[in-house]
Amino acid sequence: MTMEFKKEVLHKFLRLRMAQLIINEMYKKGAFKVPIHLALGHEAIAIAISTVMGPHDQLVLNHRNIHYNLAKVHSLKSEIDEYLLKEEGLAGGQLGSMNLINEGQGIVYSSSILGNNLSVAAGFAMAKSIKKDEGIVMVVTGDGAMEEGTFYESMVFEKSNGLPILIIVENNQWSLGTKIEERRCPIDIGKLVGALGIPFEQLSSNDTYEYIEKLTALKAQALNEKTPVCIEVPLTTLGWWRQKTDEFPEGKFINYHAGPSPSVNEQEDPYLARSSEDPLFVLEKYFGEETIRKLAGNTLALLKKELA
Amino acid sequence: MKYVEFINDILKKKILEPEHILLFGQNISAGSCISGFTRGLKVKPGGRIINTPNCENTLCGIGFGSMMNGVPAIFFMKQQDFLLLGIDQLVNTYNIIRRTTPKASFTIMPVIVDSGYEGPQSALNNLADFCSIARIPGYTVTNKIDAQEIINKYLIAPGFRIIGISQRLFKTEIIDVPCVHMNEERSIFQYTKGGDVTIVCFNLSLPHGLEIHRRMVQKDVQASVFSINAAMPIPWDEIVANVQKTKQVIIIDDLKSINAPWQSLLNALYSQTKMKSPIVVQRSFEGYWCRPHHDQLQMDYDRVISDLDLQKDFVSGKGGAA
Repeated sequence: MTMEFKKEVLHKFLRLRMAQLIINEMYKKGAFKVPIHLALGHEAIAIAISTVMGPHDQLVLNHRNIHYNLAKVHSLKSEIDEYLLKEEGLAGGQLGSMNLINEGQGIVYSSSILGNNLSVAAGFAMAKSIKKDEGIVMVVTGDGAMEEGTFYESMVFEKSNGLPILIIVENNQWSLGTKIEERRCPIDIGKLVGALGIPFEQLSSNDTYEYIEKLTALKAQALNEKTPVCIEVPLTTLGWWRQKTDEFPEGKFINYHAGPSPSVNEQEDPYLARSSEDPLFVLEKYFGEETIRKLAGNTLALLKKELA
Repeated sequence: MKYVEFINDILKKKILEPEHILLFGQNISAGSCISGFTRGLKVKPGGRIINTPNCENTLCGIGFGSMMNGVPAIFFMKQQDFLLLGIDQLVNTYNIIRRTTPKASFTIMPVIVDSGYEGPQSALNNLADFCSIARIPGYTVTNKIDAQEIINKYLIAPGFRIIGISQRLFKTEIIDVPCVHMNEERSIFQYTKGGDVTIVCFNLSLPHGLEIHRRMVQKDVQASVFSINAAMPIPWDEIVANVQKTKQVIIIDDLKSINAPWQSLLNALYSQTKMKSPIVVQRSFEGYWCRPHHDQLQMDYDRVISDLDLQKDFVSGKGGAA
């Protein structure tokens, strides 16, 4: 991986981060009527997926799709216009946020219903197999949606029919306001999919470059072995806040789910955590804080100019 | 030839047309092949027939995904009740797709278990209810003509729809009755022309309509018999025009639902014709409906004809063609 390539990826990352911060600011001012699920902290996997996607690959998303869409869209304005339900929007203002599709960029389907997209992706993969089309289908789900029966059913179908597909489980531990331990027993995804003979990989470093390398290899494995591959990505959805109530006068921790994040205030500061929870912080080991802050400022100015 | 054999024959020919096609469902190429419904189906080398695991919701999603990715898909289903598991896909995914111009088709062909009571969990079997949840195009098949026309027109035409076949008719001889008219959409078929009364059969009730017509002929009463093969309300112009001439309508419906497309027809007839009181014959589910009932719609043909005779200015046997 050359330094030039790494810089290009960093630019994409910062564009995605700063675009989300702009949208968050607009959201706080009440600009949007449709619910938007920001994905601050999810950028590493989104940038990695968009980087490894070839011209024939197809991406199937869920309700939290902003990071994948922003990583592929050429015009931030067209995406924001879509969230504003304007005719000039990316999908003519008909899809809003949770169902946003960008077929020209390989994003072929998004669903707001948990688990709904998993079987649709299996259908896409089946059709690809029948037509002998190049490329691979990738589908994104979460630790909540994987509780739906179709997570298992779709993988049984895919494995039974030798369909290459990457199943990416973004595991942020939360479903709405409920942590995993508050709603179910732990699930060892590796063992679960292993029982079906499906290869499994966990990506947990939050390192965009490492993810690009591993996804490239996993994509090749799925295609060569004609098998689904399941990838769990533990991550943190940043933007949490505290809600003060009589019961919790110091404020109760609320993990970010959707809507504006009141704790994310500074558009100018690209960092949301000074730890590996923030994939931008992880990139400091390649470029240093000063360089990243400078580039982030430039990116923000550029995006604002685009929107002006 | 039996009803199921005839439909199987049409399917065999039609699925050989596309270069790529996906046929799938439980038991479709194993065991009884859904009692012969899917027996012996073959596709071109570029197609695929998959005997699937039991996962109806997922299978509906797979059909939609295949359709969106350009490969026609047909999901054969032994029992329409199983489709309840796929409602998320039928509603939510279809509502995404319907805004686009589809490149390929997705057709679900369930067997409508209209043959009586199989227990409380097999008591729905109502195509119109399924179609109404997302205004899904749906069609029923009752005889040689409508089977040929509907399956050939819609089975692999781009878009999504459900084509239901009748379990009650499965092992009966296929109804072979000449058709005098069918509309472009193949949602209305007219089997006889008569100027005394209009008989409109919904869902799978055409055999009842043909039987009452046969008895009317013996009494020198001429009826126009229509079958509405669409499960959703449609433009009623042709029926309205006929009733404007006959001024008498008998509606027959063997649906189990309380939501019926004929209610929309009645509204149109009330507002656009001067018809006499309509006669509506439908399945009776008085009291607790989810319990054993007759295998099929119970119809007292003589009573219905007698009721017509009671209409004050009805002139039996004087009707011309309508």
